[in-house]
Amino acid sequence: MKMIGEKINGTRKQVGAAIAARDADFIRNLAKKQAEAGASWLDVNAGTTPDREPDDLVWLVRLVQEAVSVPLSLDSANPRALRAALAEVKQTPLINSISGEPERLNSVLPIAAEHGCEVIALAMDAKGIPGDAASRMAVVRCLLAATRAAGLPDEKVYVDPLVMTIATNTECGRIALDTIRAVRAEYPRAHISTGLSNISFGLPARSLINRTFLTLAVAAGMDTAIVDPLDRELKAALLAANLLLGADKHCLSYTRAFRAGLLETAKA
Amino acid sequence: MTRPLVEAIADMREDDALREVDTQLQNGSDPLQILEDCRQAMSLVGQRFEAGEYFVPELILAGEMLKEISARVKPKLTQTAGVKKHGSVVVGTVQGDIHDIGKDIVVFMLDVNGYEVYDLGVDVAPEKFIEKMKEVKPDVIALSGFLTLSYDSMKNTIAAIEAAGLRQGSKIMIGGGTVDEQIRAFAGADAFGKDAMAAVALAKQWTGGN
Repeated sequence: MKMIGEKINGTRKQVGAAIAARDADFIRNLAKKQAEAGASWLDVNAGTTPDREPDDLVWLVRLVQEAVSVPLSLDSANPRALRAALAEVKQTPLINSISGEPERLNSVLPIAAEHGCEVIALAMDAKGIPGDAASRMAVVRCLLAATRAAGLPDEKVYVDPLVMTIATNTECGRIALDTIRAVRAEYPRAHISTGLSNISFGLPARSLINRTFLTLAVAAGMDTAIVDPLDRELKAALLAANLLLGADKHCLSYTRAFRAGLLETAKA
Repeated sequence: MTRPLVEAIADMREDDALREVDTQLQNGSDPLQILEDCRQAMSLVGQRFEAGEYFVPELILAGEMLKEISARVKPKLTQTAGVKKHGSVVVGTVQGDIHDIGKDIVVFMLDVNGYEVYDLGVDVAPEKFIEKMKEVKPDVIALSGFLTLSYDSMKNTIAAIEAAGLRQGSKIMIGGGTVDEQIRAFAGADAFGKDAMAAVALAKQWTGGN
């Protein structure tokens, strides 16, 4: 499973403040730490109003690229901001995201296709977030028809089954897992990505919920997740999950991680 | 000494709470006392949430219990002396935001504290607030929001109220767990509150309720 580093997100207070104050060191530091922790992409989200977003996103992109060589995940639904950022990127980025909402699909997908970008596709449309796996799959089918028509192979699509907050609906873990399984079965070549941290909002010991859900989701077929790569316990859980699913030949990744002290937790 | 109903609600024992309400109503207890118990219980729930003992699910369950108790108690109220209304409040979650758990608790708390509450729901356009204000001429307007985009919506709503010539003489509060003085000033509201208890305190301050 690959990680998309989630930390450079302007909707978070500290990051938002850094963007407003143009605190370059803060952003570069966050980028370095996440890359060193093994993120395969760094998500960048300006979190500002549409008029300021292009400038803020470009600023973020430039800084992150100064600091690390990991590709970016451009987190915006604003075509102007995306185009501005795409003019700056050194490597083809992942675009986060399209959805079944017509305006969003029709304005963002062409940009992704034009630049050969991979794209995260959210299983929701103009009617909102569907309340069950079957309805989400209906949206997924529309999305894959659109990406295929735009010339994107399934391998470039990261379907997001939508991970909602379990504190407000105790069914939403099951619904996400059922959707992951259904996508895996119907679109074997597509990737599956989730915004993992959403699941634990509003509950205590969030890290425990996040890494447990990660384990369940990986078993169901998820291969990419937007997470905090600095969460050691989450990474340790991922190593154990990969091991248990037969994805770690001779258990080498696991034992190497052990020797590197990565499996240690605060208490025995 | 805490009453059993207060404890049942505050301890999240839904079955016990509803059974207690039914028993009390059957025994001819004062319905207003039941609502007062709900108010005390919600205050405790709020404290435990602030203290990090309770979380979002407890707030949701508390809201559900209050709604159910309210439905059982309300029919009995009309049979007793009319409930004095200290004033009226129009409440809604602003445009673009659909968070409602906190708003619903505010609605309930204002209601049990003697206010006539008009709940416009969620994702409420500025025009709907204005329409309601013209219709009922409320003492207080309460704007709820949780997402960062709601701050712009609050600002737009208050600006629209101003443009409609209704800002003068109106008292507007904004609320939600993420608002602060900076956002209050940005939006142009008269005050802000972080929870239902604050909403009630502000309403009382503005309407001279006891």
